[in-house]
Order: sequence, then structure tokens, then C-alpha cells
Amino acid sequence: MFINWALQEINLKIVYYGPGMSGKTTNLEYVHSRLDPTLTGELVTLKTKEDRTIFFDFMQIEVGKIKGKKPKFNLYTVPGQVYYASSRKIILNGVDGVVFVADSQKDRMEGNIETLLDLEKNLKNMGYTLENFPWVIQYNKRDLPNSESLDILQKKLNFFGVPSFNAVAVKGSGVFDTLKSVINLVVKHVQQQL
Amino acid sequence: MVQVKKLKDGSRQIILNAKQFDEITRILSELAIKTKASTILLADISGQLITQRGNTDDINTAILSALAASDFAATSEMAKLVGEDAKFKLLFHEGEKRNVYLSNVGDNFFLVVVFDVSVTLGLVRIYTKKAIQNLIGVFDTSESDEDTKKIIDQDFTSMLGDMLDESFK
Repeated sequence: MFINWALQEINLKIVYYGPGMSGKTTNLEYVHSRLDPTLTGELVTLKTKEDRTIFFDFMQIEVGKIKGKKPKFNLYTVPGQVYYASSRKIILNGVDGVVFVADSQKDRMEGNIETLLDLEKNLKNMGYTLENFPWVIQYNKRDLPNSESLDILQKKLNFFGVPSFNAVAVKGSGVFDTLKSVINLVVKHVQQQL
Repeated sequence: MVQVKKLKDGSRQIILNAKQFDEITRILSELAIKTKASTILLADISGQLITQRGNTDDINTAILSALAASDFAATSEMAKLVGEDAKFKLLFHEGEKRNVYLSNVGDNFFLVVVFDVSVTLGLVRIYTKKAIQNLIGVFDTSESDEDTKKIIDQDFTSMLGDMLDESFK
């Protein structure tokens, strides 16, 4: 978190984390396409030729002034593939909240678990734990026929009982609910920490 | 003045007061004049832009600082891989029309100087080094006249919730 008293700005960093192809960039693309252009900046995506995120996506959103203060949310995604581990670590630097985008498909469970453990490890290196850090889970791709039941997803991934959301990010379903929830958690967390 | 507070959970919070901000802006303005830099940014290592000088209308500086922070962080990892114990202190990108010079300011901040290729790198280096010393001096002065608790209170949280509902319709 960065507070600039002279400009009355509060900057918060939110990172979308998750396995490769789970829909992290799609979340940001949807938010970018639906928000009033006066509230959002350009969406930068650093992609490979194959449309995979190589480093990160970035977008800044604002919601106007609150009690004279201007909150700004910096949204990032990480590259999902296993071999971009150090990029993920870098992007988590200074993070205030995380959205874990899980792929609901049955055959992606292992990838979800592996990436969640990777997140835990990276947070630990920064002095946090998944237990007390503000994060939410989004179960994406709920529309696909081979998706795992919510019960099993919750059991295997949501062991700390954080807020969770069903989503079909390509259609926008669940995208704003997820973002709203993580922002609220982050702000409450900041409040508690003061 | 620039308070880098460690919170209960170990997270980091950076707070800049108005006086510090003015002082930082003054240092950057001076650097912009001396180096004829087209754009100068000061950002924190997580990529959040603190302040900017020069021509910033044509450049999305929020994005530039996010990219520069990652650039920095990536080269720090590179430093480790090649057996350099400390972080690389500066990065230089050479273009056909413009060059970009990045340098850390203490452990938590960095400076981005965008300048025309007609300006010599040596000149930029000398003045940037001086500016960094001055900035560190500003960061070290410790006085706090604001209370974060006053901004992020219960009211703030509920008003933010309403605004999110409104924006995310």
C-alpha cells in the first residue's frame, strides 16, 4: 500500500494468481471492457505469440473520490506456467490482496493445487501466510462439461474458508463480484492493521 | 517523512506526507532541467508511481512505472543467477531516439529518467546520482503529521463498497 498525502491518493496492489490458462487475463480483459473508460487506464499485456502471458498484465482502476481521498487499484496477473516461477515472485512484490483463479476442469485440479502451494511459498517468503492474508478464490470455467463439483473444489483448495466465487470469465459472470470482494477484504485488512 | 511502516502481519506500508512530496517534486524538477530529461518518474519497488516530472501527457506513467519495477525486479533475479550478491544498482536502455536510465533510490524506491539520445549518458549519471542522494536525505527525515487511521475508517470502507457497486454495475 502506498499513501500519498499531498495528492490524497491511496494505491493498492491486487494480483490475479492461478495456473496457466485458468482465465486470469480474461478477468482483467472483462473488467477493462466493461468499466467506464474514465475509471480505467490502458490494459497492458505482455504476451507471447501464442497469447500466453509471459510476464504480467497490468491495469489501473479508480472509483472516484471518497471523503476527498482517491483510491487507486493496480491490478496485475501473473504468468501461470510452472517455469515462470520467478516472474510470479517478482509480481507479488508489495501485493495487498490476491485473487486465486482456479480452473474448474477436473483434469486441472493438480495444476490448481500446485499453483496454490507456489502462492503460499511466495507469500511466506514475504512474511505472510495464506491464513491471514486477504485473498479470494474464483472457480472459473463453471460452464464447461468436465468441471469438478464445487464441494470437491472447496475441499481441495479452500481450506481457509476464504470468499469463493463461481465464474465464467469469458462471459463476465462472477468477475466483478470477485474483484469487489477482494477490494473489500484488502481495505478491511488495512484497517485492522493500522 | 517517508514512513515505511511494517504492519502487524509483516506487510509494508509507505506513507508520504505533503512536505516530503513537495521536496521530492523539487528535486525531480531540478533533475529534469539539468539533464533535459523528457520524463522523470519516482516509483516504489512494487510498481506504484509516486511522482512524475517533465512531459507526462503522452506517456501512461502508471504503466511505465509498473513495467520499470518489473524490469528492475527481473534484473535483480538475474543478478542472483549470475552470482552477484547485491542487486544491480542501475539499468540503461538505449534507443534510437530516446534512452531510459533506471536507478534505485534506497531499498524501496527507484527513479526512471527518459532522455533524448543527444544528451550524454555521463551527464545523466552525474545528476541522477546527486538527485538520489538528495532523495534519500528526504526519505530519512522522520516526521509524521498525518494519521492513516483517519483516512481508512469505517465510513471509508462502507463508502468504498457503495462506489464499487456503482462502478461495477
